[in-house]
Amino acid sequence: MRAAVTPDRVVGVVALVLAAIAPAIVSTYWVSVLLTQMLFLGIVAASLIFLSAYGGMVSLAQVAVYGIAGFVLGNATTTGNTKGLNLGWNPWLGVVVGLAFAVAVGLLFGALASRSTGIYFLMITLTYSVIANLFFGQVTTVSGFGGISGIPTPKVVGTDAHPNRLYYISLAVALAIYALLRYIVRTPFGLTLQGLRDDPVRMASLGYNVVLHRTVAFGFASLVAAIGGVLFVWWNGHIDPASIDLSATIDVLVIAVIGGLYRLEGAWAGALFFVIINNYSQRIGFIGPRFHTLIGAIFLVIVLVSPGGLMGLWERTLNVFPGRRRDPLDRTPIELGQAEPSV
Amino acid sequence: MSIGKRRRKLIPFAVIAALAAAFAASAATARTTASTIKVAVLSDCQGAFGAFDNQDLAGVVAAMSEYAGAKPKNPNKPRDGWTGGSVNGHPLKLVGIGCSNDRADTAIKETKRLMEQLGADVLIGPLSGDESIAVANYAKQHPTKTFVDGSAGAQDTTLKVRAPNFFRFNGDGAMWNAGLGDLAYNKLGWKTAAVVADDYSFAWTSAAGFIAEFCAVGGKVTKRVFPPLNTTDYSSYAQQMPTNVDGTFVAVGGAGLIPFLKAYEAAHGPIDGKKFIGNLFWGTPGQFEQLSTRVTGAYVGGAGTAGDLATPAAKKYANNVIGKWFKTIPPFGAAAPQAASTFTYGFFINTWGLIKGLQAVGGDISGGQKSLQAAIKKVVLPTAYGTIHLDKYNQGIIPVYYQQLYQKGGKLAVKTVGYIPNVDQTFGGTFSATTKAPGRTSPACVKRSLPWIGKTQHPKVTG
Repeated sequence: MRAAVTPDRVVGVVALVLAAIAPAIVSTYWVSVLLTQMLFLGIVAASLIFLSAYGGMVSLAQVAVYGIAGFVLGNATTTGNTKGLNLGWNPWLGVVVGLAFAVAVGLLFGALASRSTGIYFLMITLTYSVIANLFFGQVTTVSGFGGISGIPTPKVVGTDAHPNRLYYISLAVALAIYALLRYIVRTPFGLTLQGLRDDPVRMASLGYNVVLHRTVAFGFASLVAAIGGVLFVWWNGHIDPASIDLSATIDVLVIAVIGGLYRLEGAWAGALFFVIINNYSQRIGFIGPRFHTLIGAIFLVIVLVSPGGLMGLWERTLNVFPGRRRDPLDRTPIELGQAEPSV
Repeated sequence: MSIGKRRRKLIPFAVIAALAAAFAASAATARTTASTIKVAVLSDCQGAFGAFDNQDLAGVVAAMSEYAGAKPKNPNKPRDGWTGGSVNGHPLKLVGIGCSNDRADTAIKETKRLMEQLGADVLIGPLSGDESIAVANYAKQHPTKTFVDGSAGAQDTTLKVRAPNFFRFNGDGAMWNAGLGDLAYNKLGWKTAAVVADDYSFAWTSAAGFIAEFCAVGGKVTKRVFPPLNTTDYSSYAQQMPTNVDGTFVAVGGAGLIPFLKAYEAAHGPIDGKKFIGNLFWGTPGQFEQLSTRVTGAYVGGAGTAGDLATPAAKKYANNVIGKWFKTIPPFGAAAPQAASTFTYGFFINTWGLIKGLQAVGGDISGGQKSLQAAIKKVVLPTAYGTIHLDKYNQGIIPVYYQQLYQKGGKLAVKTVGYIPNVDQTFGGTFSATTKAPGRTSPACVKRSLPWIGKTQHPKVTG
């Protein structure tokens, strides 16, 4: 059976082709800085959208988990010229340990937070974010204020490698994560998660272990965020507490909301928008360093005009045309402040 | 031979002549359009040191104007940059001024923007310690670009990272405090001291200089307190400060200094200036004026600077260099009195070192800038406060001065009272590439010999 040609798919294919040939049509800076940044920030935002759209959990801990992976990787692989443990391990071993550590912490975070919902879940995960920031800022054994610099990367993306290589690896990883998330939400686990989102009391009465399901979902989202953290460290070569402070935490939420908190694609759309605005707004004299004021204003406009973000805007544009079939995933975005009953 | 044939025979000569003329013209064009050297500056316009942003830029623009034929765009606003300026016909184009905030993460993002998006060939900056460690690591990964420090003084930047293309003509925080430990123990009679310093690389280095020397001569540091940089409420840290010590060394800087001292007074009563030694921030123009006269008598570590030095070079630097190119440096007012600020002076000498390197290679930055980098290593700067040259890790060996706060016409003023020549980053053999980096517990308090103990000189000053 041939797949139907829909506007979504056409745009998706065009975006994919543009992403694939980007190095041929835009500058090296765009590829190695802006687009690569968009890809790993999109991955972190996708982990938030996955939890939010399919699990009803708006998490502010994704940046904390991403940072934990980055800090563990930095401590494991540096060799004596920077803060931290300087264990000097192989960069790949550092990646594995960083991901494992982040997932373990993510599962712990999830186990503690998954008994609450709505605004309470939001606040607990915000606490995780603050704890992670203060932990790495205060514990000089593993970081301190200045963080870890000169973090080595595997040869495949090392300083001698072509600058486009990290971009293509990030693109491949982002696509794999997108496909994996799309697959997961259609598995029995993903469908159960959506059931828990819609009516946790009914799901509990049907015999599902609500807390365990949410914890596992949080752990899985932690793995996704941690992969974003690894790509960030490879790209930046440095991580410090400011990389995971409250501002960075809010940035990822802003990316997800601007992109659209109910569709995975919104993660990368929002990240691209955010990265471009962040980069080019500095050139506008009266804005200069006031980027967060600008993005705050844009956030406000998006929430008021299109609560579904850029994806919602796209959907609304399509719905203008008569006869357009609504996507079964379409629904009202989750209310951030809506407190659901605890289970 | 007919005229037609003769003309045909002349054609090859005409072609050769035309080609020769074209070649000569293109060569002449090449000479007149020498490649542009793209310069970027990384300053802090936000964070704990954001108030000194224009001092940073004043140093850069004044050096560009004094030594490379540039001109400030605005004599009352250094951040506007410069026009003109060249080395051997190669224009020095300012492609961007980064705005960091004392955080390494921001410094790296800005460095990437300046070097990769705006395509800078050389970078001048950053301002503060952890930023410079991150930028030096970035420099290591980009060996075909050249980096000179701004005013950052973390020891690790040059002693640990050792990027071959990162150069620092200013001292580090420990070097700047040479002489203070000897002064505290042998002149002020302190046997015990407490130390409070911001919890980051520069302040650790600054405290390390005092601790290493005070302990070297026999003193004991009984308490070390480290409030995080950008702390707004210092009351809990001030409470931790012991009062049963002979004196206190304060390395809380930037926007945190005044709030810390207020919190200290709230906790322990009015400050007795004679029981305090501060690091460079207590004497930084623009900052010390905000201190109360209660700190009168306190000694202050410098930054290799001595604004009141009674030498023609020092006067010329203040009045005929910084004061010549700028009327005011906002937000602190008249430019000349700010010449001795660690920020103005640091960015000035580092820019000057870069220009001298560029002049040595005739502005040629081809070949991955290897010739330029080799030339900068050999630069010797006859600065207003003494001669500076680089060690094998590209760190300046500098003259160090320390000051004392006193009252002049009822207002607080700074007087230079001590001078130690040729201080290097090993701090008389105390630190090396393999010793533990300055931190909350290092260096340990141990007795040892230092070459300048008992040999502090007393320079002639004005006022």
